[in-house]
Amino acid sequence: MNANRPNSPVFHLEDVVFRYGAVTALDGFSFEVNHGESVALLGANGCGKSTLLRILAGLSFPAAGRVTFCGQALTAERLADASFSTQFRRRVGLLFQNSEVQLFNATVFDELAFGPLQLEWPRDRIRKTVSDLLEVMGIAHLKDRAPHRLSGGEKKRVALASVLILDPDILLLDEPTAALDPASQSQIFDLLISWRNSGRTVILATHDLDNLEDIAGRCAVFDRGRIVAEGAPLDILHDVALLERIQLVRPHHHKHEPGAAQPHPHPHLHTGE
Amino acid sequence: MHIPDGYLSPSTCGVMYFLALPFWSGALIRLKAVLSTRVVPLLSLFAAFSFVVMMFNLPLPGGTTGHAVGMGIATIVLGPAASILAISIALLVQALFFGDGGISTFGANCFNMAIAGSLVAYAVYRLVGAGASLTARRRVFAAGVAGYIAINVSALLAAIEFGIQPALFRDASGAPLYCPYPLSVSIPAMMIGHLTFAGLAELIVTAGLVSYLQRADPSLLRITAPEAPDRDCPREAGEAVRWPAARKLWLILAIVLVITPLGIVTAGSAWGEWSAQDFENPGARREMAAASRHQAPPSHAPKGLQRLSSLWTAPISGYAPRFVKNAYFGYFASAMTGVGIIILFVLFLSRVFRARARNPKRQRASFLEKTMSGFIRATQHAIFAEDLARSDGLLQRFDPRVKLTGTLALIVACVASRRLIVLAALLLFACLLAFLSHVPLKTLLVRVWLAVLGFTGLIALPAVFLTPGVMLARVPVVDWPITVQGLRTAAFLILRAETAGTYSLLLILCTPWIRVLKSLRFFRVPALFVLIVGMTYRYLFLLLQIAEEMFEARRARLVGVLQPSERRRLLAGTAGVLLDKSLQLSSEVHAAMQARGYRGEVHLLEDIRMLPADWLRLGAAAGISVLAIWFGR
Repeated sequence: MNANRPNSPVFHLEDVVFRYGAVTALDGFSFEVNHGESVALLGANGCGKSTLLRILAGLSFPAAGRVTFCGQALTAERLADASFSTQFRRRVGLLFQNSEVQLFNATVFDELAFGPLQLEWPRDRIRKTVSDLLEVMGIAHLKDRAPHRLSGGEKKRVALASVLILDPDILLLDEPTAALDPASQSQIFDLLISWRNSGRTVILATHDLDNLEDIAGRCAVFDRGRIVAEGAPLDILHDVALLERIQLVRPHHHKHEPGAAQPHPHPHLHTGE
Repeated sequence: MHIPDGYLSPSTCGVMYFLALPFWSGALIRLKAVLSTRVVPLLSLFAAFSFVVMMFNLPLPGGTTGHAVGMGIATIVLGPAASILAISIALLVQALFFGDGGISTFGANCFNMAIAGSLVAYAVYRLVGAGASLTARRRVFAAGVAGYIAINVSALLAAIEFGIQPALFRDASGAPLYCPYPLSVSIPAMMIGHLTFAGLAELIVTAGLVSYLQRADPSLLRITAPEAPDRDCPREAGEAVRWPAARKLWLILAIVLVITPLGIVTAGSAWGEWSAQDFENPGARREMAAASRHQAPPSHAPKGLQRLSSLWTAPISGYAPRFVKNAYFGYFASAMTGVGIIILFVLFLSRVFRARARNPKRQRASFLEKTMSGFIRATQHAIFAEDLARSDGLLQRFDPRVKLTGTLALIVACVASRRLIVLAALLLFACLLAFLSHVPLKTLLVRVWLAVLGFTGLIALPAVFLTPGVMLARVPVVDWPITVQGLRTAAFLILRAETAGTYSLLLILCTPWIRVLKSLRFFRVPALFVLIVGMTYRYLFLLLQIAEEMFEARRARLVGVLQPSERRRLLAGTAGVLLDKSLQLSSEVHAAMQARGYRGEVHLLEDIRMLPADWLRLGAAAGISVLAIWFGR
């Protein structure tokens, strides 16, 4: 497998079709992500973002089309190979939208240890790595708690930690800040920004337009299983007609105090003025 | 026709209970709608009437006895649903308090007499009496025919249930296990008596009472004759039965009650109601053979019959209270007692139902919802227990494997111990452990001692009276003997359960669940199993939470009261959604495991180590158990 080469595609998708029964989630979908890139997938609910992330994580496989990971075809047969899948799982981490699904162990410590255990790391190394990461993530005090007894923000952090424990260089995040309070959101954003600067590849699905420029270098806008626009965050954010069409923003009454500066980091429709 | 315990195999009994169940619940649901003042006195009246009528034994050909049931008149006045309940209540009181009819066979007896009897009587009466006015001669005729056919159908069903036993249930040597007589004997033996005298009795009772009611109060016949012309008896507003009307019937009941001792005049017992001892008694054997087409019964009571016949000992067996010398008075007293119990029982039932009907706004959660939230609360309680498990007490410091094995050893010791003093010492030791582990005695009291006392006490209580031995005292009124041995047996049962329960709770309270799970790995339980159990425990909460939220969301959107049928439909829908959600959840979790490197083989971290102190503690627990077993021999 290739080492990290900047600007070579990590993922390459060509004419990918994915269906859930009669519903087509991805319809002739082509997409490419390079090393060190951070890409935001934008789109309304049900537009295929989560499906794409599952395909990239090697959990679902398309009905038609080609998916490659670092130049190698990503198929079910390929992942059945122990050495390939060990490498792949270590390098690619997926944060599920629903933390409940991701946290299935009895304690936070066990939760973090699960991934390394499956990859058969030495036990001593596992204990040390888990303890270190618990400290780094600021969740050491939760170590012996049951994950399902935690608050929403704590759950998300534990879920993230359980992905980060393998030190993946490609992170797939499915709406990492959805349903979190502002403080927890900003903690996650800080992490995202630090990964971006450390050269990891980040692909995240999000509805959050507020912090887009900070966390993503490129945006891909989805609509009904296809990419309808791609570009720098600011270009996308200024295309209000597009955002409105794919239902990421909608006109709403919005007033400014006379003389106040426009404080918004993203465009609003000022219909109330 | 009261099939005693032992004459039907447990599987037959189960089938009969199962068959009776939908009718009971259907009858209750139907009744709830009309369970106002109107039906309650009538229901208890007919339950009591049926109870008393069944005490009038008539001599039947072949030397056995039979009796009317009263299902005909009960059905005609109450309608089939209330009649099913009335006669079932009479049968319940007979079985529980007077040993007439078995406990295991209660379902069968209810099915034969209460359910089939009432439904057949209803069908025949509606068919024959259709269109006749309430006071027409034809109604009297219809009532007589309905009663006659109904009791014969009941007898035939009982005969079939008796008769299939020897064909289906035999021991290794081929001897019948339960009722020894086949269909070729049971059907003629039962039917000859019922087609003649007992059927006639039912016919006379039903027709006579209908004829009487036609003159006294025709409105009482309205329920099962809605189509009858109103000529004789104009419909009253609200259809409420006036109390004076029913009073006449109570008067009749009182008269019948007073003459119950006449019912005892007939010697002999009914076919198929012989006790297990009768099989050894030459006189009884002669009677049995005479009643059974001269086929001699087996020389010993069939094995299954012998075993099941001691299932329940009624306090006033055979309507003959032990403290009453005079048999006639005993019979009368029994009838009075039975009627009293029935009236109280029906009043209690109506209380319960009426309390529910009165507060439609304060909608009670259905049984399942209640159980569900109760379960969630209980399990969440189990999690809160982890606070205690993480505190710094004596047991908390023990290795979980030591605790598991040690607890098991101590429980074995208290099961094996045959001396009360040893059991008491073990319980005391458990309390000491609890104290050293910061477990409040109040927790033990509420969560073990009272709960166990409630359950075991109920089981142990009869032993106080039933165990033969040196008599200590007698309970006044009912005259049950209290024996020293009985008290000892009850004390043993309760103390044993309390001690074992205390140790189990200590283990649970002082050990985080995950540690127990991990200690299973030490006992070579496969890692996959441990992971699955752990995940089940974890996702059970999630699913229960989803279910509770769904229930709550539903309740929040509801205005007013739902019909039971609608409630059941919604519940079924919820269950379906829940199943779907859990399937979805499991595939998602599988994906989440895969994403983190799971490839079908689980690796778990086993980070518990036995310290020398743990071996010492294990030794101590084993030693105490061995000592307890030794001294408790």
